[in-house]
Amino acid sequence: MKKNLLLISILILFSLSPFLTSNNFLIRFLTDILIFSILASSWNIIGGYTGYASFGNVVFFGIGAYSTSILMSNTGLGFFVSMILGGIIAALFALLMGLPILRLKGHYFAIATLGVAEAIKALVQNLNITEGNSGIYLPPPEMSVDGIYTFFFYVTLIVLALLLFLTSIIFKNKFGYNLKAIRENEDSANSMGINTTIYKSAAFSLSGFFSGLAGGIYAFQQGFIKPEPVFNVLITIKMIVMSVFGGLGSLFGPLIGAFTIETISEFLSSYFLVAHTLFLGIVIILMILFAPKGMLDIFINIRKKGLSYFRKNIEEHRV
Amino acid sequence: MAFLEIENLNSGYGDVNVLSDISLSIEKGEIIALVGSNGAGKSTLLKTISGLLTPTSGKIIFNGKDITGISPDKIIRDKIIHIPEGRKLFSDMSIEENLLMGAYSRKDKSIMKDLDNTYLLFPILEERRKQKAGSLSGGEQQMLALGKGLMGDPDLLLIDEMSLGLAPVIVDDLISIIKDLNASGKTIFIVEQDVRLALENSNFAYILDTGSITLKGKSEELIKNPDIKKAYLGM
Amino acid sequence: MTLQILINGILKGGLYGLMALGMSLIWGVMNIINIAHGAFIMIGAYITFLLFNFTGIDPFVSLIFSSSIMFLIGYTIQRGIINLVIRAEIFITLILAFGIEIFINNAALMIFSADVRKVKVSYGASNFNMFGVTIPYVRLIAFLLAIAITIILFFFMTRTKSGRAIRATSQDLDGAVLSGVRVSRIYAITFGIGTALAGAAGTLWAIIFPLSPTMGGSLTLKSFVVTIIGGLGTMLGPVIGGLTLGIVESFGTNWFGTTFESLISFSILVIILIFRPKGILGKGKE
Repeated sequence: MKKNLLLISILILFSLSPFLTSNNFLIRFLTDILIFSILASSWNIIGGYTGYASFGNVVFFGIGAYSTSILMSNTGLGFFVSMILGGIIAALFALLMGLPILRLKGHYFAIATLGVAEAIKALVQNLNITEGNSGIYLPPPEMSVDGIYTFFFYVTLIVLALLLFLTSIIFKNKFGYNLKAIRENEDSANSMGINTTIYKSAAFSLSGFFSGLAGGIYAFQQGFIKPEPVFNVLITIKMIVMSVFGGLGSLFGPLIGAFTIETISEFLSSYFLVAHTLFLGIVIILMILFAPKGMLDIFINIRKKGLSYFRKNIEEHRV
Repeated sequence: MAFLEIENLNSGYGDVNVLSDISLSIEKGEIIALVGSNGAGKSTLLKTISGLLTPTSGKIIFNGKDITGISPDKIIRDKIIHIPEGRKLFSDMSIEENLLMGAYSRKDKSIMKDLDNTYLLFPILEERRKQKAGSLSGGEQQMLALGKGLMGDPDLLLIDEMSLGLAPVIVDDLISIIKDLNASGKTIFIVEQDVRLALENSNFAYILDTGSITLKGKSEELIKNPDIKKAYLGM
Repeated sequence: MTLQILINGILKGGLYGLMALGMSLIWGVMNIINIAHGAFIMIGAYITFLLFNFTGIDPFVSLIFSSSIMFLIGYTIQRGIINLVIRAEIFITLILAFGIEIFINNAALMIFSADVRKVKVSYGASNFNMFGVTIPYVRLIAFLLAIAITIILFFFMTRTKSGRAIRATSQDLDGAVLSGVRVSRIYAITFGIGTALAGAAGTLWAIIFPLSPTMGGSLTLKSFVVTIIGGLGTMLGPVIGGLTLGIVESFGTNWFGTTFESLISFSILVIILIFRPKGILGKGKE
């Protein structure tokens, strides 16, 4: 309880940051962290809680971004309506894609999701409605420059808060227990009478919905989107790395992961203009080797076990 | 000092300790049995001897050499061969390939001679040498497992639950082969749930109960022991 | 015309099969999906490019160098990094391989820049005609070499002690350990062979197609497609998978245009995964 109180006060302080600083660059950076917090938390629903390691969650982000863009530039609908519709379209896509693909397990599920994401990217690159590789422009927000930064910060924050609120309720209820049962042992969950298909699909759609909203926000914030960056597999990798880094299957873990990884990324790209992605690769390798159970696990155990914690982690998983 | 000497051994899986303070010794040229009910820790002991598990404390000395905690491939080169429960054969590989895998860690010249000897011992394996191991019956698979173990040219053979799931006729065949091997100089350590079978066919036996040795003695005496009769032989 | 498209597809399919052979081997033996596979192919291609440009070594000859260098790189990466987490949950090794891929790709970008390069051999454009079909010599030789390498691997796996140990390890890990197999060494050798095959595929790729540091990503995905079509656990799988993808892609791009090339291969991937996840010949675990 004390731990949660601390986290909540940090979050409140964080949420007031547009009033504490007038540095737009900083607010923009914090907004990016929030967007990745949404993405990582969404991944955590299917990958962490349900145990289905999706390697294609960027497809929901991309679909959300493209739906919002197309709706706003072609139908004249407002941002909020378009964004929510984008989320719904992403959720429906998750539902449809999940029906066949959620029957696969382990590696096969991972590869199938990766394949779907790449296939949709290739499709978007070739369709007329998405303008192929030339991309789509969105109508710019009609606000003052400072207002834009604050606007996106709060929109993202509200979506994230909603996501956390929903997941915290859901996972204390039957829904959450059933997902956990699926993660631990799907066959026995099935034989206990849990309709695993419904629960897996619901978790996947929820994951898709919020990733889609994040995509919508991102598109409107950028003002212009193209297939390659929006469907970039690196975004999926970041979602997973953030969730693992923060600790799988925990409510605030992905937030800690998003904050840490984005800060490291930002730091690296400001110091190493060309090489920063290379360093990101090294960060991922080191994290997997030394912190496969996440930062929280390190903090809890390193006081007790000291450096032998790392050795024991490796001993457990090597041959 | 005995051929294999185990002193105050503690071992288990991860943080779970299964064996506590096991001490036993095996003399050269004998058939020694370790008996006990399911879950007593019999397989854990064999896995610790063959290096699949690392003991948390205690000593294992073989032929005067301390082999505690060394890797399985080195223990095999010291001529201890472990035939595991469930046989662990390579089901998609041919019988001959399985036998050759048994000689994997050997570098000497007599591997092909031993292959011929194994085929003499188990003619059925020679008949089906090109057949996949997975296509054999349970009894034939146990013969292959035994043959594969012999291909390692063991001085000490550890056999886990050989009789499990096999028809009595086949078990009799296997037992007579084991006795022949023993007569030709191999030391044999058998681990069995079938207490009567083990006691009738060994020189000396240890009783393992929930990770500790509760009784030991000559097999012919243990089989008459009233406690054992009651607990394990159903009399 | 149809025959020409078919032959083009078969020739490219042989190369696809070789590309996927290493991935399928590593996946089948160690249960690791090597996301960095395409990056290894890319390194092999650049080794050939560099050797040709700076020493004039014929690209077909450089096959020996690219595959041996890649064996050493693969062996070291497996021994030093991947073996440390090999028993962790599957997505941990997947993410690790992604980290390695990101590292390699960006290192290559810094060293070679994003420029597209080409290995310009004098005989690159020569071809011959048969039954009205034009066949470039380099493509035919690359195809034959790809098949030859597959056959050599088949003999290695079935006729040598190390090959037997690799198959034994993939079938029963404990059984292999109790036969005296040092699994960490066998895994490193297997990974080395897998990356050596990637290196060889890279060399053949460089002779026919242009190369760039970012070419690996799509080649990894194509290797997936081929592996999935053929299924795990057989030597013939990648060959069948490669030819299937080559032919389908050849006809597909002829009908829909080359921009649909990747859409076609991913659609095949998803369809196969949904309807026949173990592949056409596969007997791997689901």
